[in-house]
Amino acid sequence: MKDGRFLTLGIETSCDETAASVVADGRFVMSNVISSQIDIHTAYGGVVPEIASRKHLERINDVIGKAMADAGVSASDIDLIGVTYGPGLVGALLIGVAAAKAMAYACDIPLVGVNHMHGHIAANYLEHNDLEPPFMALIVSGGHTEIVNVPEYNKCEKLGGTRDDAAGEAFDKVARVIGLGYPGGPKIDRAAKEGDAESIAFKRVYLEHGSLDFSFSGLKTQALNYLNQERQAGREINVNNVAASFQEAVVEVIADKAVMAAEKYRQKRIVMAGGVASNSRLRALIEEKAGARDIDVLKPSPVLCTDNGAMIASAAFYAYRAGAEPDLELDAVPGLEF
Amino acid sequence: MLNSCKNMKILGIETTGKYGSASVIDETGRVFSADSSEEMNHLRGMITLIDEALREAGISKDELTHIAASVGPGSFTGIRIGVTTARTISQMLGIPCIAVSTLEAMAKGALDRAISAGALYVVPVINARRHQTYAGVYEAVFTTDPEKQSAVPVMEEKQYMIEDLLEELRTRMDEYKGSVVYFTGDGIDAYGDIIQGAMAEESYVFADEAVRYQNAESVAKIALAKAAAGKTITYNELMPEYMRLAEAEQRLKAGTLSERIRKPVKI
Repeated sequence: MKDGRFLTLGIETSCDETAASVVADGRFVMSNVISSQIDIHTAYGGVVPEIASRKHLERINDVIGKAMADAGVSASDIDLIGVTYGPGLVGALLIGVAAAKAMAYACDIPLVGVNHMHGHIAANYLEHNDLEPPFMALIVSGGHTEIVNVPEYNKCEKLGGTRDDAAGEAFDKVARVIGLGYPGGPKIDRAAKEGDAESIAFKRVYLEHGSLDFSFSGLKTQALNYLNQERQAGREINVNNVAASFQEAVVEVIADKAVMAAEKYRQKRIVMAGGVASNSRLRALIEEKAGARDIDVLKPSPVLCTDNGAMIASAAFYAYRAGAEPDLELDAVPGLEF
Repeated sequence: MLNSCKNMKILGIETTGKYGSASVIDETGRVFSADSSEEMNHLRGMITLIDEALREAGISKDELTHIAASVGPGSFTGIRIGVTTARTISQMLGIPCIAVSTLEAMAKGALDRAISAGALYVVPVINARRHQTYAGVYEAVFTTDPEKQSAVPVMEEKQYMIEDLLEELRTRMDEYKGSVVYFTGDGIDAYGDIIQGAMAEESYVFADEAVRYQNAESVAKIALAKAAAGKTITYNELMPEYMRLAEAEQRLKAGTLSERIRKPVKI
């Protein structure tokens, strides 16, 4: 406790960001330290798990130290530690979990494990301080494309998800093939702004009637076939047009399904989360479609969309308040479900 | 020597092999240990083991003066759990760290038994798969005073193909006919047949399975000597000794990382 506020330290190492943050009362970000490895992994065209694990180990202690220093607190002020224990890369997760447990033990602070996906949703509690469940959540990231009903804090009912590639994965693959490189999401977003989204007719995959699931692998193949065919015909490829048309085909389906889910469950709010939630076209389109049906769209600022410790701290705070048992035998669970 | 270091309480942790363990050693050399009987349970079980070792020793964690970790070589995952745990406890309690080589700890831990078996060399061998090992070769120096017995490194601790390691040992043993090599570590489990095939009969001994694997007691003992000699480091200096680059890094350096991955396709 400091100045009467309950302080949670959140630790996140599930992929390629080493992150820690101090959050007061589950809502107010006092510090948010994110050490990204993206420059290192770019040389390999994607995240290399073994290298990610090595880098997390080298950085985790200073990241935790800086998170406390930036917040102006010391370990004795921390009331709760929350750490991502899944889903994610197992070697990456275990660095955060091992550090969190050692700190919890050394400083006698309760520790709770946090589901990374719950963390992404909780990022919105930090951005919108009066937001409370229930609401509909849309999580779009490198590894996830999911529609989740959130009836109460830390309760998540998955209504639909991807049957093959996540949206972020599809972005990465197409970006690589059209020469934009890694990470694909932001690069396609940028290129698409200069292109014509109607120039190439990529298909919209809605699956069976009423389904809230996604499938992007067919679209990815269609994009690759288009590029081959143009190349064979000797026609010059307009990268911006490909980016814009491909992106539109992805985000239109996502936006439609999110709005469909909100209507079906009579939720008046759609809450966005995950790295791809910072895609500017997805944000604009979902607002337009939801707005037409009187549904509000909430989204965290880009820094809270990427993997960060603050969202983990917030989710930990609400889990602990709801009675989650502190656990010094916490294990990493790479395939953790919602 | 040890008398000059009053009130030392060192926590040693070992997570580089199959079974995790934690030990507390005090300035008199008394050791209190907790060992896991569950395989590869390092992440889940490490804090419980540490707590048990401290209870055995009858001290609280605030009385610890140093924390030592077995830094490898061995299981990458295991190394990371141990090193991260040690770094974080060091950072939070504000106490220094001590890095202990896993192979050195294994060699010193096996020394008494090796000498009893009449061994000239102690050879800890860790299975690194596909005929690879992490190994070192130590000369067992016998004296009448058991306190002064020592394991002196005579070959570099590094990655060896098991066949190369054995070839080297055979050459050395030619000069000392009748003496014995004492093997320890899970390399015996993986390459026992190869060792048997390559070494002359009665020129080697395998450590019993009960004492074959890494343990925190040996780590704590080496840590005590290092602490007394002032060989302590900060938590940021405590680094894993993987002895191997990540596979992707090897390929990047060798220029064999797939072109498709390294360069975006030009169209």
